[in-house]
Amino acid sequence: MTIRFLLPLAYAAALAAQHSDTALKNPFQSPDDRARGGAFYRSQCASCHGIDGKGGASGPNLSTGNFRHASNDEGVFRVITKGVAGTAMPGFSMNGREIWQIVSFIRGLSASRAVNVTGDATAGRQLFTANGCINCHWLNGAGAARGLDLSAIATRLTPAEMHTALTDPSAEVAPEYWTWRATSKDGKTLRGQRFNEDTFSLQILDSAGLLRSVIKADLREQSLDHRSPMPSFRDKLNEQQLKNLVAYLATLQGAAK
Amino acid sequence: MRSALFLLAAALSAQDANWTTYHGNYSSTHHSALTQITPANAKNLELKWTFQAQSLEKFEATPLVVDGVMYLTEAPNTVVALDAATGREFWIYEHKNPEVTYPCCGKINRGLAIRENTLYMGTLDGKLIAIDAITGQLRWEKVVVDFKDGYALTHAPLIIKDKVLMGTAGGELGIRGFLAAFDAKTGKEIWKFKTIPEPGEPGHETWHNDAWKHGGGPIWLTGSYDPALNLTYWGVGNAGPDWNAKVRPGDNLYTSSVIALDADTGKLKWHFQFTPHDEWDWDSVQTPVLVDRVWRGRPRKLLLWANRNGYFYLIDRATGEFLQGTPFVKLDWATGLDDKGRPVRVPGKVPTPQGTVIYPGVQGGTNWFAPSYSPKTDLFYLNVWDDYSGTYFAWDQEYERGKWFAGGGIKADVQSVRRDRLARRDPKSGYGAVRALNPSTGAKVWEYKMTDVSEGGIVTTAANVLFSGNREGNFFALDATNGNLLWNMYLGGQTAASPMTYLVNGKQRVTIAVGHTLYTFGLRE
Ligand code: HEC
Ligand code: HEC
Repeated sequence: MTIRFLLPLAYAAALAAQHSDTALKNPFQSPDDRARGGAFYRSQCASCHGIDGKGGASGPNLSTGNFRHASNDEGVFRVITKGVAGTAMPGFSMNGREIWQIVSFIRGLSASRAVNVTGDATAGRQLFTANGCINCHWLNGAGAARGLDLSAIATRLTPAEMHTALTDPSAEVAPEYWTWRATSKDGKTLRGQRFNEDTFSLQILDSAGLLRSVIKADLREQSLDHRSPMPSFRDKLNEQQLKNLVAYLATLQGAAK
Repeated sequence: MRSALFLLAAALSAQDANWTTYHGNYSSTHHSALTQITPANAKNLELKWTFQAQSLEKFEATPLVVDGVMYLTEAPNTVVALDAATGREFWIYEHKNPEVTYPCCGKINRGLAIRENTLYMGTLDGKLIAIDAITGQLRWEKVVVDFKDGYALTHAPLIIKDKVLMGTAGGELGIRGFLAAFDAKTGKEIWKFKTIPEPGEPGHETWHNDAWKHGGGPIWLTGSYDPALNLTYWGVGNAGPDWNAKVRPGDNLYTSSVIALDADTGKLKWHFQFTPHDEWDWDSVQTPVLVDRVWRGRPRKLLLWANRNGYFYLIDRATGEFLQGTPFVKLDWATGLDDKGRPVRVPGKVPTPQGTVIYPGVQGGTNWFAPSYSPKTDLFYLNVWDDYSGTYFAWDQEYERGKWFAGGGIKADVQSVRRDRLARRDPKSGYGAVRALNPSTGAKVWEYKMTDVSEGGIVTTAANVLFSGNREGNFFALDATNGNLLWNMYLGGQTAASPMTYLVNGKQRVTIAVGHTLYTFGLRE
């Protein structure tokens, strides 16, 4: 079969898939396909999505395994051929095989990073429970509702990065976790998480757990604390315990897709 | 006794009441003689009507208004005629593009041109089309370029006499840019100026190897025209590949330059290259603002140009002589300009495989969205992105027809185009401001600071009101003399277009595209 036929075939299959629950499977998933997909990716996608796939000035991070515009491989295929309306994402005119190969490559970006794990995951699981991680985090449908989801953390962080996250949580903190503090013109102090901001106002989750808009003109001063709300476990856990905890986190691969 | 309407008609010409070109006038000052909306009454602005686009594409168009009828493009290539007083549609013309076209960064269109009763639009599939302004019917279409080579026509055409001028986008896809003039009646090509000179043509010596073959030099924003000099001015975009500049040694004319062409023949009268050997994707695709003004004691025909590279330039537009250049945002890639206007570059401030942090970021100190010059205040107004950097990467890239040919990429905290719906990046990574500059010195006179950057253009009026919108979703009026906020309306989507103002039934209106909607405001009655 020549690859020219693949695209119409893929669509025919996609149409059929609408009438059943089975989404179209990616037929090009060999290591070789993935490598070729990587080459296409670097030449056609990396300018916007970053050479590492973690996002750039115009394209979003493609390495999390979650997509705003697609729920499975077929959806990712469709995004690449059609683009995303209203954004800089163009539709690409590559042939079907090439696109599937890129899909393979993108999927590989969110494959487990859990290599060279040395600790004991069972012991780590106990430490996870004993140290109150779940009071702040979300895991497989339970935990702190607003907490950062650790269910697929092994696809996002390498064991070394997990180790740093536990021992030096403030090393790199995304802006949505910074702590916002302000004093209003009438002398009240305010604290919360900054969800959104424009020239006139801030939308925050305040320390009482309420959503509210704050008008900047009412503030005397405001600041952003870049430190993580998460305590460091450097002095609470010994090196072996940290390794065990990392080994447990490395098993958290998310739901199969 | 004369009626109020008559008085008004006496004071204002039809040209003042209408908005007949993309930039509002040939000088591209984005300045209107209308005075009903004033700093005193701007607080009484209210919504008059909206137009809801069905297209989900980014809304970058500025409409035209001619004698009560508004002409608008809905991205990518739908033309709508509507009642400028009420927003109700008269007709809709839908140009069908093929499934795959090749715009770099969104299926957009910036607007139309009109001559007598014919409208003109460039399309993503490389056509220039003429539409009857009364009936909305196609008069002719002309294939300007093979879009499969990576071309797309996105800017509003410019009419000069009996010609329609159109250039082409595609700077990220290895094209070779040009500006061409077509007979307004038939679509026949009259002249063509190639922005990348071919072997044997002057300027070709600024290219080496075969790099010129995919040298870029797109034109994606409407130019200006000086009827007295009969010269038309256009900004030329980046060289290709954008960031892996080592494969194209030399100055790479006429990329990142302004060109001044004879409007009848398309012959180059002069050029000025803002960014020789551009390695940052700093297209010189800004609005050429033509101003007659005294400079250093002498009346001059000036060209004012705030460039993406972070410098604000004063050029003699009759001769192309560089007069002055001053930085208007934080920049670290050059230490200054020499007496010919050539940047003195800082070594090492170039894209690399591991990434280099450079100010300004890839969108530059400003970009394609319109600045304004007001003869009332004698100030130049623009939207700046300040204190903003990007990490510039370069890598090798082979040319393939119709494929991305950028040779690198950019990372930045500030998104080039609004992507995240929630705005919570580090405020220290850059901010936007509407800024007023003294055109003589380039010095800042005032600024209106915003939290986020803006892709909104500016219009000023003879009553000293300035309108602009921003990425945050705010549309606002400022006092053009001091930058004080007069009025603000949160419209909930990004502005990536330039506002315009017009008169209909004797009433002043101001219109802006925000999100997927066109909003028209006027004073409460
Ligand atoms: C010109 C910049 C640009 C280029 C080139 C580009 N993208 Fe995108 N991409 C974007 C933008 C912008 C979005 C949309 C983000 C949003 O949701 O607002 C996007 C979205 C996507 C998405 C959906 C992400 C999600 O979360 O749903 C995928 C998948 C994707 N791109 C893959 C690719 C691939 C594969 C290529 C190369 C073949 C590519 N992109 C090239 C800018 C680009
Ligand atoms: C007081 C609340 C709190 C507690 C307790 C807490 N965390 Fe966190 N954690 C956070 C917050 C908030 C972040 C996100 C900010 C950051 O990156 O530090 C985070 C980040 C992380 C990250 C990095 C996630 C990423 O995507 O970069 C990991 C891994 C992590 N926590 C694991 C744990 C583990 C394991 C425990 C228990 C030993 C724990 N946390 C306890 C609040 C907490």
